[in-house]
Amino acid sequence: MDFAFSKSEKLLIDSAREFLEKEVEGLARQAEETGEGYSPELWRKMADLGWMGLLLPEEYGGVAGDFLELTLILEKMGRALVPGPFISTTISGYSVLKYGTEAQRNKLLPKLAQGEIIFTPAFIEPDSTKGEVKIKEQVNLKNGDYILSGTRLFVPYAHLADWFVYKTKTDTGTILFLVNAKSPGINYKTLKTIASDMQCEVSLDRVKVPQANILGKKEQGKQIAIEIEEWGALCQSAFILGILEKVLEITVKHAKEREQFGRPIGSFQAIQHQCADMATEVDKVKFLVYQAARRLSEQISATKDISMAKAKASDASRSVCLLGMKIHGGIGISEEHDMQLYFRMAKAAEIASGNGDFHKEIVAKELGL
Amino acid sequence: MDFRFSAEEEKFMQDVHDFFIKEEKIAIEAKKEWDSGLGFGPNCWKILGMIGEKGWLCPTWPKEYGGLELSYMYRYILMEQMHHFTDIYATVGAGMAGPVILNHGNEKQKKEYLPKIARGEIEFALGYTEPDAGSDLSSMRMEVKDEGDHFLINGSKLFNTRAHYAQYHWLGALTEITTPKYRGISLFIVDLKTPGITISPIFTVGGMRTNEVFYNDVKVPKDALVGEKNRGFYYILEALDYERISTVAGLERDFQEILDYIKKNGNDNDPLIRQKLADLAIEIESARLFALRVAWMLDRGKIPNHEAAMLKMVVSEIEQDLVQTAMQIFGPYGQLQKGSRWAPLDGKFEWRYRDSLEALITRGTSEIMRNIIAQRGLGLPRG
Repeated sequence: MDFAFSKSEKLLIDSAREFLEKEVEGLARQAEETGEGYSPELWRKMADLGWMGLLLPEEYGGVAGDFLELTLILEKMGRALVPGPFISTTISGYSVLKYGTEAQRNKLLPKLAQGEIIFTPAFIEPDSTKGEVKIKEQVNLKNGDYILSGTRLFVPYAHLADWFVYKTKTDTGTILFLVNAKSPGINYKTLKTIASDMQCEVSLDRVKVPQANILGKKEQGKQIAIEIEEWGALCQSAFILGILEKVLEITVKHAKEREQFGRPIGSFQAIQHQCADMATEVDKVKFLVYQAARRLSEQISATKDISMAKAKASDASRSVCLLGMKIHGGIGISEEHDMQLYFRMAKAAEIASGNGDFHKEIVAKELGL
Repeated sequence: MDFRFSAEEEKFMQDVHDFFIKEEKIAIEAKKEWDSGLGFGPNCWKILGMIGEKGWLCPTWPKEYGGLELSYMYRYILMEQMHHFTDIYATVGAGMAGPVILNHGNEKQKKEYLPKIARGEIEFALGYTEPDAGSDLSSMRMEVKDEGDHFLINGSKLFNTRAHYAQYHWLGALTEITTPKYRGISLFIVDLKTPGITISPIFTVGGMRTNEVFYNDVKVPKDALVGEKNRGFYYILEALDYERISTVAGLERDFQEILDYIKKNGNDNDPLIRQKLADLAIEIESARLFALRVAWMLDRGKIPNHEAAMLKMVVSEIEQDLVQTAMQIFGPYGQLQKGSRWAPLDGKFEWRYRDSLEALITRGTSEIMRNIIAQRGLGLPRG
């Protein structure tokens, strides 16, 4: 039992914090303003630190880390609101490591570890009640190649991606394909979202994908997709944790400095109790995230732990940010203050990889209901 | 960062579990006595004696005083199992009075009280609260006069829950009128059979007996004073940090009962119920990790302060969610009391719904806990 960080964990955290403080100041705002959503220079530096290959073994240029270490880095990235396709690239790469063929791994992973590949899951089919679906979903086998048509929504950074893990259904079940994002017939459109975080609409119009690009055994498709979603949920939870820690920090600082009625507002119990609730929620998220990450690192089935972490992180994301907003008062809602940035980014992370209700349903299943 | 028990701790947990399974009959009877709200009955004393005999009531204490010199994690494991099987998870002696005697008492007091506490032979009733001193303990008025060869005590205490079956009063009272007032408080161990003490019952909405305790010219020997004179308030605060070590074993057990009930009775497809139960499971799990953090801190020689407050607060507040969820699931049947043939789980949650209120108040209200978290945890200024 250890509620403190080990020496190596501490080292990792310190270096991540130091690096991000130096490199990322103001980047989220800047990325949003320019519409780039990503800094290639930062990406390269992160790769140099070994972060892209964190989960990959050394033979592929990785550093053979585990999910707990990944979580610790993501927590720091959340604090700093690092924009970019880090989570999607990491979990996609890990799916290739775990389920890909030797050829797929050799082709993709070393480059991924070096920061030369942006990789992203393309899972979510459009809901026809929300808008017209223009491309009919199709999977056909022709002369040994698959011909794929369909639309995927909320694909992170698809406009920059080199590869997709594309999920589709056939008569025999779910199949995952590794799709070269530069293939003819693929179109992108970035979606305008609350956090300007470069989620895209991707359409595939008769895109040719060789059979050799199926990820895993055919019948494993559904299970692999669930695992990728679980890893994503854990990563998003860690990112949220970082956001919430920062929101708590700036809110408490504000409460200590801002004076009304001749004294700091943080001396009023109305404010103190809200801060206490924020701190309590942050600690709940923290321990659930670390526990889930530890279990996943030990290769123990962590479905319930991950859903607990994401459900708590998602619900706390809402409650903590809202309290942070309220305590900041007028300055919090002004565009120039970072509070509104955290508020919006937290919402995107809350929605990503399943919101609180979604994960509570998984927890209910895991409870045997 | 690793929240798993060691192999030795796992083994110990199994040993304790096996003990309670072996003695389940007595444990069940003890739990019935305790849940009746009347306090320790014969079976409670019996099971405490058996636990004490193994050195498990105060496992962290030195061997010479009846302990096993084990870490707090072992104590936590024991408390969890006790809580699960008997609903009693600590005695006031083992949890509050004992640690203060151990840290601040004189040798004679240590020899006299600690082994008996550790063996589960005696119990203390907390004597802090007064009609005008609830959350603001420093407002206590009970006065102690130094009469040379003895102390003379006058005044009254309120909500002193174990006074009708404990042998001793763990009494806070004023030895000096000072500003600020808390600098005049001292702690005493008073035999509750001393002439001049009257105990009169008060019953709570949950059916639990607590007491008013009146002191009318009560003569107490000089060696009843614990530690230094006028340092009592500091000892009280120190002990409170230890006492806010809760376990979630009761929550886990009651949650499991609700879960089993729903699975058996087939309304587990209701999405609202599924959401509520999942939410509870998540809250209970995070509270469990809060509890382990506190135990871990104690093992590292740190005094848990806002961390203990956080734990105390969430455990009592989650219990409110739990009883409310049970009541909502049961619908109109939820209001039926024990004994009705229509009452789900024999009316257990009708009772828990009332009984659980106490946890929000006792050992520091949720609002005081939030003050502690804000002021000592986050460094916000006192108002």
